[in-house]
Amino acid sequence: MNHFALTIIGRDHPGIVARVTKVLFDLGCNIADSSCTILGGQFAMILIISHPRFSTRESFGTAFEPIEQDGLSVFLRTLQAGGEAAPQLPGELCLISVYGSDKPGIVYPVVKELGDRQINITDLNTQLVGSPERPVYVMMIEAILPPGIPLEKLAEVMAQLKDRLQVDISVRDITPVEL
Amino acid sequence: MAVRKILCYPDPLLKMVCEPVAELNQACDTLAQDLLDTMLASGHSVGVAAPQIGVSQRMVVVDVSNSKLGRNNNHGQLVMINPEILEQSGQKSMREGCMSVPDYTGNVVRAEEILVQFLDRRGDQQAIRATGFEAVAIQHELDHLDGLLFLDRVSSLKTDLFRRKKR
Ligand SMILES: [Zn+2]
Repeated sequence: MNHFALTIIGRDHPGIVARVTKVLFDLGCNIADSSCTILGGQFAMILIISHPRFSTRESFGTAFEPIEQDGLSVFLRTLQAGGEAAPQLPGELCLISVYGSDKPGIVYPVVKELGDRQINITDLNTQLVGSPERPVYVMMIEAILPPGIPLEKLAEVMAQLKDRLQVDISVRDITPVEL
Repeated sequence: MAVRKILCYPDPLLKMVCEPVAELNQACDTLAQDLLDTMLASGHSVGVAAPQIGVSQRMVVVDVSNSKLGRNNNHGQLVMINPEILEQSGQKSMREGCMSVPDYTGNVVRAEEILVQFLDRRGDQQAIRATGFEAVAIQHELDHLDGLLFLDRVSSLKTDLFRRKKR
């Protein structure tokens, strides 16, 4: 069965999720993984969906047109076989908090250090908070430390960045406890 | 003495309220040993509740003494029969997972400190004050006795602290 990635974004208002999922329900689609959130004034939906008979984007026909006419952007992509399965990454889950007075160039230097070390980001969100006069930038990163990189090593790398970027950074282990 | 299979949701037993243990007999002692064996065999587990191995009775085992988070603050291996939380205070958030709900984890806020009363394996009345990770583990296991999963207690979808405050 083919899987599709469906991305929908538009000005936030109540009823978007119901509107979108009704279309999927009426088509007979299954929703596997999904994540929906408010970003700025926009509501963003990302869904991995499948259908017992649909194999290409064309199978959906004009089903999403009414949603687009409502002012939402719809993007549908066909996944390659196996693209719906989450990889099992070994390692410790950690959380990196980065925050400081808002300025350009906070995100890239931080994630570059992670990418260079093959540290996989599993979740990342950024938000501009604080007052308009004193905006504060907050970034939270969840990442999986590969077996060769201890938390202390990552903390060291981040401590250097902290000085360079003049932001606050902390790192901690958030490996879930299995009970 | 046996390692038992851990039941996974949607097994209906996991959503049932368990019966109090009526009498501390041989069957009850065997159940305690099976719970301990099962906890030990799973390696990383710090607790198992009776319904997780298919027995709808109010008994759990907890042992955080071998885990990184509980090593320095614990009461060792606990067998808790008909346990009851008498007092609780403070708040502690942890990312929890459960052997009966594979592949899913979520942030749960629980009491940081609890006073819990129970019968031990010999039938003696005990009351202990547990804190930190041990307190969290006990609360998680006791929830199983009431048919509650950590999924019923997830407190936030995000790991962040800042998001809750809206500008
Ligand atoms: Zn559990």
